[in-house]
Amino acid sequence: MKDVISKEHVFFHPIDKVWNAISKEEEISTWFINADFKAEPGYAYTFNSKGEDCAQITGVVKKALPYTLIYTWIVQDTHVETIVTWKLEETAGGTKLYLEHSGIANYPGETAVKMFSSFKGGWDRCISDLTQYLKQEVHAG
Amino acid sequence: MQDKITRILKAVADPTRREIFHALVVAAAALPITQISNQFDISRQGVTKHIKTLEEAGLVQIQSKGRERFCIANAQPLKEINKWIGFYEQFWDNVIGDLEGYLDQNA
Repeated sequence: MKDVISKEHVFFHPIDKVWNAISKEEEISTWFINADFKAEPGYAYTFNSKGEDCAQITGVVKKALPYTLIYTWIVQDTHVETIVTWKLEETAGGTKLYLEHSGIANYPGETAVKMFSSFKGGWDRCISDLTQYLKQEVHAG
Repeated sequence: MQDKITRILKAVADPTRREIFHALVVAAAALPITQISNQFDISRQGVTKHIKTLEEAGLVQIQSKGRERFCIANAQPLKEINKWIGFYEQFWDNVIGDLEGYLDQNA
């Protein structure tokens, strides 16, 4: 059974810019999720959504070397450890991202159901403040 | 007590069980255990054990007719796995989309 989710995507941006976006606390907090994060092995990070009723995500940074970032990923109240890996590779005119989320078969069914319901219909609310961010940028511009 | 999805995942984690399940899906009809075991290089006992695991996961239903037991595949439980794996699939698609939007904004 499939235990890994793999994604690939090419960004037309320099590798260091993408690296900073995924590894710097301030940037993560801007586009992804409110973060207490340091790209240092052993750092116990917290992703705290600003939305109500959103599960907190915690984990430990396993590897943080340009351009590989690996951290464990534990959704609040699940006690199931999964692993998220970000790998960047320079390509002509851009950066290729390999994103992997492994260990998801570790989620027991009930937890999975709980997880669904904690996020259900709440992706925008829980995960990204980007829409808000973009609106602000537009207004500011 | 094992929950449902754990049982399903364990049932399909074994390659032989996947083959048995697949054979039943392809047959699209109830097959006697004897006939199933003839297709595999393992003992009838072994096949019976695998089928029992599949049955516990809800992937196979067993009906007794006389002295023979018939098995029929039920793929329905697999949908549940798809559902929660799909959750993270969608999640990371959204994350990548947001990252791209952020990078483009700051070009």
